[in-house]
Amino acid sequence: MAEEYAGPIIQMRHVDKHFGQLHVLKDINLEVAKGEVVVLIGPSGSGKSTLCRTINRLETIDSGEILFQGVKLPEEGKELAALRAEIGMVFQSFNLFAHKTILDNVTMGPVEVLHRPRKEAEAEAMELLARVGVAEQAAKVPAQLSGGQQQRVAIARSLAMHPKAMLFDEPTSALDPEMINEVLDVMVELARQGMTMVVVTHEMNFARRVANRVVFMADGQIVEQNTPDEFFDHPQSERAKDFLDSIKGH
Amino acid sequence: MSANVVSMRDALYEAPGPKTRRRVKIGTAVSIVALIALLAFVIRQFYINDQLNPRYWSFFARWTTWRFLLTGFLGTLRVAFTAGIIAMALGLLLMLGRISSVKPLSAVCHVITDLFRSLPSLLLIYFFFLVIPKYGLKMPSFWMITVPVALAASGVLAEVFRAGVNAVPKGQTEAAMSLGMTHGKIMAKIVLPQALRIVVPSLISQLVVVVKDTTVAYVVSYPDLMQNARVLISNYDALVSMYFVVALIYIAINYATNRFSIYLAHRSGTKVISRTEENPV
Amino acid sequence: MGVAEVFTEFGDIYLQSVLSTWLMTAVCFAGGLLLGIVATVMRVSPLKPLRVVGDVYVQLFRNIPTVSLLVIFVYALPYLGATLPYRTCLIACVILIVSAFASENFMSGINAIGVGQIEAARSIGLSFTQIIRHVVIPQSLRTTVLPMTNLLIATLLTTAMGSQVPLKPPELTGMVNYVNSRSVAGISAFVVSAICYAGTSVVLGFLGNLLDKKVRIIR
Repeated sequence: MAEEYAGPIIQMRHVDKHFGQLHVLKDINLEVAKGEVVVLIGPSGSGKSTLCRTINRLETIDSGEILFQGVKLPEEGKELAALRAEIGMVFQSFNLFAHKTILDNVTMGPVEVLHRPRKEAEAEAMELLARVGVAEQAAKVPAQLSGGQQQRVAIARSLAMHPKAMLFDEPTSALDPEMINEVLDVMVELARQGMTMVVVTHEMNFARRVANRVVFMADGQIVEQNTPDEFFDHPQSERAKDFLDSIKGH
Repeated sequence: MSANVVSMRDALYEAPGPKTRRRVKIGTAVSIVALIALLAFVIRQFYINDQLNPRYWSFFARWTTWRFLLTGFLGTLRVAFTAGIIAMALGLLLMLGRISSVKPLSAVCHVITDLFRSLPSLLLIYFFFLVIPKYGLKMPSFWMITVPVALAASGVLAEVFRAGVNAVPKGQTEAAMSLGMTHGKIMAKIVLPQALRIVVPSLISQLVVVVKDTTVAYVVSYPDLMQNARVLISNYDALVSMYFVVALIYIAINYATNRFSIYLAHRSGTKVISRTEENPV
Repeated sequence: MGVAEVFTEFGDIYLQSVLSTWLMTAVCFAGGLLLGIVATVMRVSPLKPLRVVGDVYVQLFRNIPTVSLLVIFVYALPYLGATLPYRTCLIACVILIVSAFASENFMSGINAIGVGQIEAARSIGLSFTQIIRHVVIPQSLRTTVLPMTNLLIATLLTTAMGSQVPLKPPELTGMVNYVNSRSVAGISAFVVSAICYAGTSVVLGFLGNLLDKKVRIIR
């Protein structure tokens, strides 16, 4: 890859997926440009998490195609692993490696996948941990940290791979309310630095503040997409209006 | 503990791509061939050694064979259930003693529990079969097998009961105390009934261990399933077929017992406490 | 006859008996672990036939009573063209049974990891073998220390089945029979064997707990 790829970093074309009888993704067409922050919102069961997980092929698709940096996602093997190394992923349940220290969680990818010298990887990991504000916890194991801290470590673990884009699958949904902001702050900072991000979330304030585009999904379809201000102030579809009303009621 | 066996097994693998699918197909074919070869080898060994001869198997078609085995099986059941009941009573007492606030009693019960857990049931059987008679005490063969099997099981059951008591939420005791109930009353009315309900599946799964322990009843010449099978072997001169059939019967019984305890645990939302999950002695 | 006399008269053979019990326990446990790993690999393999065979194997050997298996090895196999020494029969039986329980322990160790960590490992680009090596094996080994300690103690107790076949030297349970058929030892031989079993169990349990404290994964 000598030249920098200039087109949309993620492209989804006519993507369909079923879970048994359930049609979870219906003819999805979506492009994400470099540096763009796309927030996926919608009622639960609308397929937004599934969509997010198809981008690094944690979920396979039935038909259509997904391209990353203009190249179709590999189906298996080394190529697929190499692709995933370029896409960061942050999960709802953190999924830190329970048997490794915080530092080892962050260095695992760089050392094992990128084959970087351990010393170097550790130095960078410490910087990343400092950046997300958990450097003092480096020697602990995940279970000793709060949810918010664990999720920030998970973000650092992704960043250590120098990803070209990052996927966030409901990163704050498993957190106690007082910890949500410490994670969102890190994400806001990432967006400001120009990271390409696809974020599935229920945090509407975050979407309004940070997103370049809001994609609203319902029943496996993209119902509408717009800038956050337009979407939140003038939703076009009935589904979106209902959805926004229902969350305003809270 | 949300992931069950099947989902975790599958989670280790990606949805296969075309290359992987081909490899899985080839691997499946190869493994089927290997398994068939293995099976063919076993059948061949039976065949060339004349063990497939109908005279070794035909008596299984006779009702008398099964009636005699069934009589033996009833003997097995009699020992297993009697031992199970004694073990439960003794296990409960040992557990209550161990958690009591009387230090010496607690220590003694702790030692007895761990001792029974760390002795092979066969050694205890020898104690009742070889040692006790030397002191002039003659027991019927039924008790010579039942008592040691019960003692061996009681140690494990004491630990199962203790796990059950520990699984009753602390809030239950606190709520009872706030009502002014005494220590003994709380144990009898609040904690024990709940603990017993929690350990029912585990008690049933321990029956498997008891049934296994009864299989050495021939040592004391008690007519259980295994012992009656040995009688049939000498009657029909059909050792191989008989030992394999008896093994399958035991496996089927124990498998069914295990499934039943898992089913009960599932239904009541509890967990089967097995010996392997306890603290070692 | 007191415990002291048992020692003066049978001390040598008792020592051999203890050592042989320990050795058999070690061999059976090691063999059981190895075979248990094989069974577990089959059970988690993507090949359906191997999975089924692995599952059936484990169910067969965790449910069969040891005696029932031992009589097949000792008395039935010769009719099928394989006559093995008594000790080999015993060790083979115990290994088969231990392997079934070892595989169950490994499986619950694997289950405890959870799907999420596998997906996380995948998403930072680890390959299948790397995931197995860096996540699955270390975690399942570290969570199974206590169950495996219990299995080791159970292995020790299962070798008592050696008293049902002629062994030279007899193992600890067979010793009770051996001593009682040669003298009026009464309770002494039983006490000595019981102490050996209980002592070994206590030491193994203590070491297992110690190791578990060191490597246990907090979740």
